[in-house]
Amino acid sequence: MFPISLGRRVRHLALAGLLLLAGWQLAGAGWIHGKALLAQQLLGRAWLESAATGVAQKPWPWADTWPVARLRVPGLQVEQYVLAGTSGQALAFGPGMHEAFAGGARNWTVLAGHRDTHFGFLGALVPGVRLSLELPDGELRDYQVQSSRVVDSRVERLDPPPVDRPHLLLVTCYPFASVAANGPLRFVVVARAVYGFSKATSASPGATHASGSSFATRSSSSRAV
Amino acid sequence: MNTTRSRLNSLPRRRPVAPGLWFCFRLLPALTVCLLSCILLNASVARAADDVPGAGELMLHSPGLPPAPALMQRSAVQVSISGMVAVVTLEQSFRNTSEQWAEGVYTFPLPGEAAVRALEIRVGERRIVGEIRERHEAEAVYTAARDAGRKASLVAQQRPNLFSNRIANLAPGETIAVKLEFVQPVNYTAGVFSLRLPMTLTARYIPGRPLGDKPESTDPLPLPDYLGRFLWTDEVPDAPLLATLQHPRAGSDAAPLNPLTIAVELDPGMPLARVDSPYHEMRLRRDGSRYHLQLARGSSEMDRDFVLSWEPATGSRPQAALFTEKVAGEHYGLLLVVPPALAENLENRARELVFVVDTSGSMGGVPIQQLRESLVAALDGLRPGDSFNIIAFDHSYRTLFADAMPVDRLALKRARIFISELRAAGGTEMLPPLRRALASSPADDSRGRLRQVVFMTDGAVGNEQAIIDTIVAELGDSRLFTLGLGSAPNSWFLRKAAQLGRGRHLRIGDHAEISARVGLLLEYLAAPMLTDISVEWPQAVADAGGPVPDLYAGAPLLRLVRFNMPPQPGVIRVSGELAGLPWQQALALEAGDEVAASAPGVASLWARERIEQILDQRYQGRHEDSVRAEVLAVALPHRLLSPYTSFVAVEQQVSRPQGIPLRSVAVPGTRPRGQSPQAYAYPQTATTAAAKLFLACLLLFIALLFWVMRGPEADRVPDQPR
Repeated sequence: MFPISLGRRVRHLALAGLLLLAGWQLAGAGWIHGKALLAQQLLGRAWLESAATGVAQKPWPWADTWPVARLRVPGLQVEQYVLAGTSGQALAFGPGMHEAFAGGARNWTVLAGHRDTHFGFLGALVPGVRLSLELPDGELRDYQVQSSRVVDSRVERLDPPPVDRPHLLLVTCYPFASVAANGPLRFVVVARAVYGFSKATSASPGATHASGSSFATRSSSSRAV
Repeated sequence: MNTTRSRLNSLPRRRPVAPGLWFCFRLLPALTVCLLSCILLNASVARAADDVPGAGELMLHSPGLPPAPALMQRSAVQVSISGMVAVVTLEQSFRNTSEQWAEGVYTFPLPGEAAVRALEIRVGERRIVGEIRERHEAEAVYTAARDAGRKASLVAQQRPNLFSNRIANLAPGETIAVKLEFVQPVNYTAGVFSLRLPMTLTARYIPGRPLGDKPESTDPLPLPDYLGRFLWTDEVPDAPLLATLQHPRAGSDAAPLNPLTIAVELDPGMPLARVDSPYHEMRLRRDGSRYHLQLARGSSEMDRDFVLSWEPATGSRPQAALFTEKVAGEHYGLLLVVPPALAENLENRARELVFVVDTSGSMGGVPIQQLRESLVAALDGLRPGDSFNIIAFDHSYRTLFADAMPVDRLALKRARIFISELRAAGGTEMLPPLRRALASSPADDSRGRLRQVVFMTDGAVGNEQAIIDTIVAELGDSRLFTLGLGSAPNSWFLRKAAQLGRGRHLRIGDHAEISARVGLLLEYLAAPMLTDISVEWPQAVADAGGPVPDLYAGAPLLRLVRFNMPPQPGVIRVSGELAGLPWQQALALEAGDEVAASAPGVASLWARERIEQILDQRYQGRHEDSVRAEVLAVALPHRLLSPYTSFVAVEQQVSRPQGIPLRSVAVPGTRPRGQSPQAYAYPQTATTAAAKLFLACLLLFIALLFWVMRGPEADRVPDQPR
């Protein structure tokens, strides 16, 4: 007959199995989010060390990536450490900087992040929102969001045309609420540099209020949400 | 909850349950829940996976591509091979599947050695023969015809192996066929004849800084918007002309996106041991000394080169031959001399090998695997005493060692680790790594080492000229060998680079070829076998080529000449130094009118070789204007396509009525087989956390249902003590 009317022991076993499986899945999800949160803390330390020593530091001894930039969105209280590379291993811990564009090739900096851990805030980036990206040598650049759109990664290459002014391209998966991990759609935000180059001392962020860069950071009052 | 429990508890009192009730209240709900969960689980995963094209609600903004290509292309190739010359007819049919009048722009490859000598377009039953014009004249004729509503075709050479075809005024639903005829020399290496026809292009990387304005705004032929993804840059001013549109999907032979049919008629002129087509399955029919080949499946995808090779039976290998043709009162000749094979191990000088390997995005997929395997195979072939280094490049480069290291166990181990870590990503900046490889240190020369640079790449760049210039300028005593990888490498560029680098070009198109080709490469690396070659003709001739190059083992001597008077009986003497010893070979021309085998196409080959020779003089600093004038003087009378001449065909009748707009669209080709989907692929940017959470919730929900819908027997247990 139907399983529900099976013996009590079998029913309990099935129930326990279901709960165990559910717990397993929950733990898996929790592990992914926990890793993403914890890694950012460790990355913060590695970042300060990199800035102080001038040598790229690995956040933990066995890491295969290291922080290459700090991304801030003052309007959304976002502060994240960007890792080298956009492989799955790197993106688990933070947004990654695409290798193909490393070194500002064609004036594009391409950052990619998981929509459900780090780059979930991309949906709130409406045109006009200010971002800033800080490099380990203290170089700080401010960007303003120009546009955002959805692309189909099966038909379009990640191949932005060369531009004169530095641009930032943020990529994450779309739709934001989707459950499937391997969807073909990407949400892409384009931001353009606003103030060009400026210098900041990243090791002591509080001490640079007089410099142009902190002015730029603080003046970005256009709240997006 | 309590009320539910009590209601459920009250149910079991009425036992036995009637089967109908059991069905309605137990089985049916349970089945529904199961089904529902299955659907939920499936749908949520499937939703994001494939809702793009047909969904309708989600209009994607993807400016790079129209939803469906408006123009489709198919090709039919007819090859007629006689001796050392192949005459190929390529018919490209363009069908307008849209509802609008269209102008098609199709970028396609041809062999770098092809002499394109005729164009014809076919519209239904009408045939229009094209004519050769100076490039800008041809463009003007075409533009005028297009704007007037006449059907027209313009075929221009953008690179020696990259051509563009524009077809104007295709009516909705109409098909226009464009027929090109070209002559190509047959390749003969190490006793095997072969012919290679490229079918698709690897999208080229355009280096340099983008220029805001076009350098010449006089272009009367603007490209369709989404072909203009390549901007003019300071290093590649004609970048937009190299742009290629490709189908986003990979093609397949079962359902080709760009179907290809091939028919070959082979008259080898000698008994054969085998005929082989390594990348296509062919059906072979023999008719006396002639062979007829066709694709076994009828058609195939245009996603890889077509190669046909044939091997003469033992004892019938040619030693020397002269093929002649008489065109417009002039006699032309193609001389083939095969140096004898030597027992190996000519000399064992220590070598310094520098491998310059391409790890750019276009190498993604099969090519990078081929690269890794070839490198490992090449390292295995190194001898003690050699030294080596590896330079891997994409938009920047990195070296294995700071300087070349002697071959020993540790160095090889480090090299293997380095090789296993090579990944394909990024741009293709070839100049800095090549400069680094060619810059030889004086210490090496004093030790009398042979310095050899092995360049492994698909050659997919737009600044070929700058790279070749650099090789010519900085080669010094080094020799440059090129190994073309992938299904559609830029063969002309790699062959030219090797020729000017005094080395050889080899090609790997398949995993199965790796060990044999790398073995051959290492054999070549030993040293040129035949040097200081000179050819003595019995009468005065105009040799199309420049000085005779040194020959490597297995390579024949090929010379294209124009006789100043009809060929006379006499003896052609070829002499040189074979492995350090004087060597001579003679070919006697018998008396009579027919002194040599007649081969149609030799004249076109001579003219093409002559044009290439004139173009090469630019490397010696000859001025562009005088080069252009001399090329025109050869290309126009021989009716050949060149950088300065284009073919144009125009129908006299006007077909598109005035007032109806014409839309310019790019005609897509097929991505090279085995190349990863996107050179610059979007990264995966979602974790499985959401899926896990969803699954966990679903499992909990099912558990809850399970609990709630417990069977009656179970519930009676706590009742019993009462």
